[in-house]
Amino acid sequence: MQVDGQVRVMLVEARSLFREALRTVMESEPDLRIVAEAADANEAVATAERVRPDVAFVEVNLPGTDGIDVVRRIRDRVPHCRALLLADEEETGLLLRAIEAGASGFLTKDCPLARFIDSTRAIHRGEVVIPPRMLGGLLSHLIHRRREQDVAMRVLSRLTPREREVLGLLAHGATNDAIARRLVISPETARTHVHNLLGKLDVHSRLQAAAFVLQNGLLEHLAGAEP
Amino acid sequence: MNLSLSRRPARKADVWVHLARDENALFDPRSGAVHLLNDTALAIWDLCDGDTYPVEMIDAVCDLSGMHPDVVTEDIERVLSEFDRVGLVEWIE
Repeated sequence: MQVDGQVRVMLVEARSLFREALRTVMESEPDLRIVAEAADANEAVATAERVRPDVAFVEVNLPGTDGIDVVRRIRDRVPHCRALLLADEEETGLLLRAIEAGASGFLTKDCPLARFIDSTRAIHRGEVVIPPRMLGGLLSHLIHRRREQDVAMRVLSRLTPREREVLGLLAHGATNDAIARRLVISPETARTHVHNLLGKLDVHSRLQAAAFVLQNGLLEHLAGAEP
Repeated sequence: MNLSLSRRPARKADVWVHLARDENALFDPRSGAVHLLNDTALAIWDLCDGDTYPVEMIDAVCDLSGMHPDVVTEDIERVLSEFDRVGLVEWIE
């Protein structure tokens, strides 16, 4: 949502001094405009919903919750808003969580102020901003995750369509009776399906089967199985 | 160079990496050559672990950036070709 071609920016940062610095440097750029500031998580999400900025800079250490949760909530409620996480240091685990929460960028607070300007424009253009030294680690993680998903998909392909439905319901926490009612089958048949799919997945409990689905992001491949 | 589906690039063990604030460099003690890397090349270098196929590198970059696979393929192919040309990597079948 641009007004007069400007990128509308929101700053979410607990320390007012840092916000002041960012505001000063951004407001010297004619194509950027600070439209809101917030100092804690709840204020940030509520303000984002009201103001609907194009870009949100979110500090990782916020009172009340962490910045990653704020990124996730802002992305849920204002999907067009691109979020960038501000961290104290380059930490791969944090970067991964930020990307998974929907962040489009990650910067450390000690980077040159000009980088904030460039990054704002870049993520507004749809680019992803990652510190160069962290890119290899991030890509490596994505590759490993994809491999695990490929393996999981191969395992999933061993299941019959009916067993997939049962697995989907099971992943939502359904009991055998609930599965039976949902699929209009007897509880004994539901139990047999569960027994068979546990064997095919090579797991020993319903909990492990549910974890297999959730950890590998397979729910979408079990569509139509919502309880 | 066509990216092979069956070969994985591996960094040669004796190549040194030097990371400075604004510059990344590889030093090959066998040739005495210093190779400057841009950010993309550095990331690709990190992925030359002897375990990762070039197509996996391409998929990961596409997933992350949303860039077209043809563009990413061209970039990665160029970087790996250069690593190969100056003898910084070996290929594992």
